[in-house]
Amino acid sequence: MNEFIEQFLIEGRELVAQGSDDLLALEEQPGDKQRIDSAFRAFHTLKGAAGIVDFTAMAETLHAGEDVLSAVRAGTVTMSPAVTNLCLACLDQVSAWLDEMQKTGEVPADAQTKANEVVQRFSLVTDTSTHAEAEDDAASRAPDVLALTPPARQLLDAQVRLLNDNGADGRTARWLSAAHVAANVLRHLGHVAEAGNLERLAETALSAGNARAVADAIARTMESVSAAAPQGTAGAAPLADQTLRVDVKRIDVLVKLAGELTVAKNALGHLARLAQDETNPARLSVALKAQHLHLERLVSELQRSVVDLRVLPLQTAFQRFPRLVREMTGTLGKPARLMIEGASTEADKSVVAALFEPLLHVIRNSLDHGLEAANERASLGKPAIATVHLRAARQGEHIVIEIEDDGRGLDLARIRAVAVERGVAPSAVIEAMSEEEASALIFAPGFSTAAKVSDLSGRGVGMDVVRTSIERFGGQVTVSSRPGQGTTVRFTLPFTVMMTRVMTVEAAGQIFGLPMEAIVETVRLPREAIKPIGTASAFVLRNRTVPLIDLGQALGGKGQTSGPEATIVVVKAGGHIGGLEVDRLGDRLDVMLTAPDGLLAGIPGIDGTTLMGDGRVLIVLDLQAFLQ
Amino acid sequence: MAEGSKRVLIVDDAGLVRRFHRDALGQGGFDVAEALNGVEAMEKVLAEPFDLLVVDVNMPQMDGISFLKALRRQEGPTGAVPVLIVSTEAGPQDVEAARAVGANFYLVKPVRPEVLVEHAALMCGGVR
Repeated sequence: MNEFIEQFLIEGRELVAQGSDDLLALEEQPGDKQRIDSAFRAFHTLKGAAGIVDFTAMAETLHAGEDVLSAVRAGTVTMSPAVTNLCLACLDQVSAWLDEMQKTGEVPADAQTKANEVVQRFSLVTDTSTHAEAEDDAASRAPDVLALTPPARQLLDAQVRLLNDNGADGRTARWLSAAHVAANVLRHLGHVAEAGNLERLAETALSAGNARAVADAIARTMESVSAAAPQGTAGAAPLADQTLRVDVKRIDVLVKLAGELTVAKNALGHLARLAQDETNPARLSVALKAQHLHLERLVSELQRSVVDLRVLPLQTAFQRFPRLVREMTGTLGKPARLMIEGASTEADKSVVAALFEPLLHVIRNSLDHGLEAANERASLGKPAIATVHLRAARQGEHIVIEIEDDGRGLDLARIRAVAVERGVAPSAVIEAMSEEEASALIFAPGFSTAAKVSDLSGRGVGMDVVRTSIERFGGQVTVSSRPGQGTTVRFTLPFTVMMTRVMTVEAAGQIFGLPMEAIVETVRLPREAIKPIGTASAFVLRNRTVPLIDLGQALGGKGQTSGPEATIVVVKAGGHIGGLEVDRLGDRLDVMLTAPDGLLAGIPGIDGTTLMGDGRVLIVLDLQAFLQ
Repeated sequence: MAEGSKRVLIVDDAGLVRRFHRDALGQGGFDVAEALNGVEAMEKVLAEPFDLLVVDVNMPQMDGISFLKALRRQEGPTGAVPVLIVSTEAGPQDVEAARAVGANFYLVKPVRPEVLVEHAALMCGGVR
């Protein structure tokens, strides 16, 4: 991919994020002049960038958005939900194009068709928004981001048929029910504005006997809604993040370090000459030690600086949530506001990238189960619009992220009952648990496996998955709650994550990890090429005799002398070379090793353990111990 | 059942079906009431508002089709309540007969619980 395009993709994504942010903020405060300006600038700059890389279709699409925003700036168009939806749909399209370009490096072939569709929808708003009636019509075609599910489509089709039936008996009620159901279907999928428009239209049109107008409006809305939904843009993980934007200051530090390392290298050359001439070993030793100290300082500084390069603001993980929360609250019919704090807090790139899924899980749980229904909130005297806080802060060597809602809190009695029912632990143990321990039961594996038993405890859908993914990065998850006041889920994550690359192998029916740095090569040898030497065995690899260890046997399992060929991993550690016979080779993984503890502590030959994606523990072997 | 849930009336003469539908919709978060036939259903519908009726076709006293015909003759919101027919009859003439009297949708028994809940939620505009 050429550098221009690479740069364009990076900046494009930033501008899309900026534009979405502004549009969502405008939804809260439609009159915010600065936000309108900022949204306009994002569209404008993106359009310019699209022009530079010859992406005409994208430029045209953005131009349509820019036009509307410019009219909003001038006060001739109001920032209605329909306008917001259109502009967001426009950015969704751009974002989908950027993803395609990332894959292929080229402008997508069907871009112009899609651009025309978006532009056409915009024309409805810009042409007619001054007339109230026409605005209704335009808004009823306004797109949103949720595609129609097959049952939704069938339901809408059935309502269109009902509306087209002119049979006199019970006609008005039949039509009204059809309009009502169609609006409900749209509302349930988050197309709230469209649903409202349809109901208003039905009210006037149906009493005038004009069911056809309503049927047509439903058909049109179906079209625009499906056209405007680029598959999964809102929820899918971004393709980006293979490139990294780095603060120039951090590069400067590296350049300076590289300079100092060069000086240190030259000093070593000087020492080498000194070693040749110098007759006094004590003097040489002093000089060497000084140089060693100097190098040590430089190397550790280099290490720190390189870690710093991998550091990203959490904004990258957080920025998609305002949009997602907006969609989820629409679907659930629970008005809620997401307050983000500390998005500029930095964390390791791999942590930031892995945070999105667990955060989504917890936030979705908060909205779905943690928050009370609107009327329940009203009767409790709580504010109608619920608040979910997403906070991040650096605390020493840790990043702390909190998701706090002002919902009903955890129902500990229910949690205990469910935990007993699911057999998480014996009931006596569960009854004896403190409140804190009982709250933590929601993270227990098996607590929430019975899929969607909604409304269980205010929480509990797949929280064990959240825990596993956070623990993979050496983090911790805790939960606390106050009855009737809300729930707080807290992630504590390490600031730096040192990843080790391992290869998994299978031996004696178990999976083990071998550090990649120790692996020289893997070979398959016919069984007869392995020669017994005393009680052990060995094979010849490129004129070198290599001792062979049967990994399964060495680990106390069954050996694998069956099969015509042996699968061997040749490893080198601590100056020794050796072959490990295994049953099967597995994957290469980047893992974070934790020192063996509990039962594994003190067993020689274990380098550390790590959690695999499926929650199993992977034991990584200390090859040096094996080869000695 | 949670307050503020959408109210669904299940109209079916078979106790097992009523129970099956009640459990599915109840678990799905709906507030559920039951009626054994069209006559009973009409009494309930006239007495209190519902967000959706899930109606069987073959029932003693008043079948689903006659009930629906009578329902759609009612004035105002009572007549216009959304109706989902759930019947064992799968023929196109059965579906057409239900549509002609104003059924909003037609599912054939047995209906999987998640399918019933999904359709109910769509037709009610959500569970709450």
